[in-house]
Amino acid sequence: MSTYSGMDLRAQEYGTLKVPYEMLNKRFRLAQKTLDREVHNLTGCFKEVEERCSTAATANPGEVVLMLNGVIEKLKSAKRKASDAIGAEESSSKLCKLRVQHLKLHASPTPNVVTDWKETRFYRMVVDHLLHCGFYDTALKLASYRNITELVNADVFITARNVEQSLENKQLELCLAWCHDNRSRLRKLKSNLEFTLHLQQFIELVRCNDLLGAVKHARKYFSTAESSQFEEVKQAMGLLVFNSTTHLSPYKELMSESRWKFIKEQFRYENYRLHQLGELSIFKVTLQAGLSGLKTHQCYDKTSKSLECPVCSPIFNKLAEPLPFAHCAQSRIVCCITGDLMNENNHPMMLPNGYVYGEKGLHKLARDGVVVCPRSSKEFNLSSAQKLYVM
Amino acid sequence: MESCVNTEKDIDKFEIKFDLFKKQHEHNLDILINDVVQLKNVLSNSQDTFCVDETMKAISGLCKKARASAIKVSSLHKDLHSSVSKIGKTIDRNFDSNCGRVNVSEILIDDSSHKLLNTAMCEHFYRYGYNTVAESLIMEAQLEVDPTWKHTFIEINKIISSLQNKNVDLALSWAMDRREKLIKEKSQLEFKLHRLKFLSIINNGKEFQDEAVAYSRNFQSFALEHSLEVQKLMGCLIYMHQGLANSPYSDLFSEELWNEARRTFAYDACRIMGLSVHSPLMSSFTAGCQALPTLLAIRCVIEQRQTSGVLTNNDELPIDIDLDNSQHYHSVFACPILKNQTTDKNPPVKLVCGHVISRDALTKLVSGSKVKCPYCPVEQSPSDAKQVYF
Repeated sequence: MSTYSGMDLRAQEYGTLKVPYEMLNKRFRLAQKTLDREVHNLTGCFKEVEERCSTAATANPGEVVLMLNGVIEKLKSAKRKASDAIGAEESSSKLCKLRVQHLKLHASPTPNVVTDWKETRFYRMVVDHLLHCGFYDTALKLASYRNITELVNADVFITARNVEQSLENKQLELCLAWCHDNRSRLRKLKSNLEFTLHLQQFIELVRCNDLLGAVKHARKYFSTAESSQFEEVKQAMGLLVFNSTTHLSPYKELMSESRWKFIKEQFRYENYRLHQLGELSIFKVTLQAGLSGLKTHQCYDKTSKSLECPVCSPIFNKLAEPLPFAHCAQSRIVCCITGDLMNENNHPMMLPNGYVYGEKGLHKLARDGVVVCPRSSKEFNLSSAQKLYVM
Repeated sequence: MESCVNTEKDIDKFEIKFDLFKKQHEHNLDILINDVVQLKNVLSNSQDTFCVDETMKAISGLCKKARASAIKVSSLHKDLHSSVSKIGKTIDRNFDSNCGRVNVSEILIDDSSHKLLNTAMCEHFYRYGYNTVAESLIMEAQLEVDPTWKHTFIEINKIISSLQNKNVDLALSWAMDRREKLIKEKSQLEFKLHRLKFLSIINNGKEFQDEAVAYSRNFQSFALEHSLEVQKLMGCLIYMHQGLANSPYSDLFSEELWNEARRTFAYDACRIMGLSVHSPLMSSFTAGCQALPTLLAIRCVIEQRQTSGVLTNNDELPIDIDLDNSQHYHSVFACPILKNQTTDKNPPVKLVCGHVISRDALTKLVSGSKVKCPYCPVEQSPSDAKQVYF
């Protein structure tokens, strides 16, 4: 079976490991900065002590002792800050390790462990999907119920949720702060988000008729705009001429409320990119593949619906409509009495009316050598059933 | 599995280096702080013998030491960078960052399909008893949920947990209310529940002998079909005084009967209500976990050979998905000769010898007025072939 080779891990678990790795990376760089800064501070501090001691006037033991006390305090504070940064690194690295170890359970020799793992995987993916949809409360509740909070990337989405809510309330500050925090990564990704936010600030200033303020704002932020953004800058400047109730394009679009939705979506997209999360939830991708693999023509034929088949159930029947059918090069026949496969262990038997059932199923239904065909309600002798050979 | 092992190796390598760094860093800083404290103590204790030059020397020595130590720590940390980025590269190499490219068509194309999926998730949560999660989803997704299956699941879950607490009454009254439907489905649920009730009365002790005998009247309707079982149960009465632990019927008091009753209840309840026993959401997802790697592999091959027409022109997947035996819900007959699926217009037919092929294949095999089975030497006339219904 393909599951044991770990190919499904390869396909589905990129986000599970990459996201804590990116956090580790980020904290590593932060720690490096902290250490470098502390080095700089300490060097400066000691230099100052040296200089002050070298001037004979201030060279008396009391003063020196005071200065040394100051140095000790600075050293202790440096130690604390460095410890915090290093501690953060360590917890990120531990999270990476925890997740890898969890994934390894997939290949455990104990069947119960593997079954539990698969069930956990299902819920991990569902929580991830709920987060992608924006149903944060539901996702967190489910994650805590199943004890999988450490295995899902909830943090990424929670910080996002606060920013998204502020954008819905038409406030730009949180989003701008977020851009500031992640400036270097966003620049590497060639993100347009900060420019879009500044543009929106400009638009809001124009909306309140604070034209002078708008111009000042433009001078501050648009003068460094890159060539790809010039077109938008030009349009924005043109906005100064019109008022907020204009019907002319493109100025109408610039002033419209739907720009806020557009900003929210752009933020969400950049947040995913930053954390190396896919835009699609793995759950959705997997579900689509599964529905397609299960979809048969019988699922859409009223006479041959199966109670257990997911694609036959009303919701998935509708959902799976645009998907391709499953490809079948090999015959697989199922006995509708027991639901089991018919093969050499459960031979397919044909009753005289042409309906086929498994040998085991027929024996189960038989009473005194007579069996009633479940689908036609006709009675037949068990001995009249003929063995079929399906290649 | 290789993917995980490789990644873990790199993480471990990093952890080892990191621990070393952490220890060194703390050690260095502690030494530094100690030195300064010592110098300060020396100075404050020997204020009369204070000598500027000596102090200066001591302080500048300290400064040099501090600077060197701090720079060393910072560069030690920088060295860790390669281990960190190695982890990232290993993850990139061993895991697929873009599994979304596997799908040809999307299912969540518009709001109504999102609503359908959300409803499916909600149903799943109610099915497994995660009621608060379901309610939270209803609120956040603004779903309108049909109250009938919601109440059905809540009721079923209540009964199952009462069975888990070894209390049969709720289940029994549920089963008796639906006696006819259960009989139609050939369910043995009511008998099993009566049996459990009878056994728990007996378990209470020998004082309940009369009650047990009175209760056994309930077995009248089952006596014919389950005669052996009923006889065993009556036999238990013999051992009531001595205690049943040592009787030949001791296995009737194990957990297994309760587990079996729970399973039977869940199965039969779902069947009567027209629901599937397993959550369709979970079944589809499980199938997807097996389908995904196969589809990704075929997608790779298609991209390499640039034959993307295969994907878009067919309304069928380009490859067989190997599903677990438990996930074959429909019969699929592929004609072994023409290698295509049978349909209403081209149904499967049985030859006299018992081999099954499609009708089109039969037509192709006719020579004169006879047809020979491709798998065995039996000959027959085409009209002897009989249509089969799987």
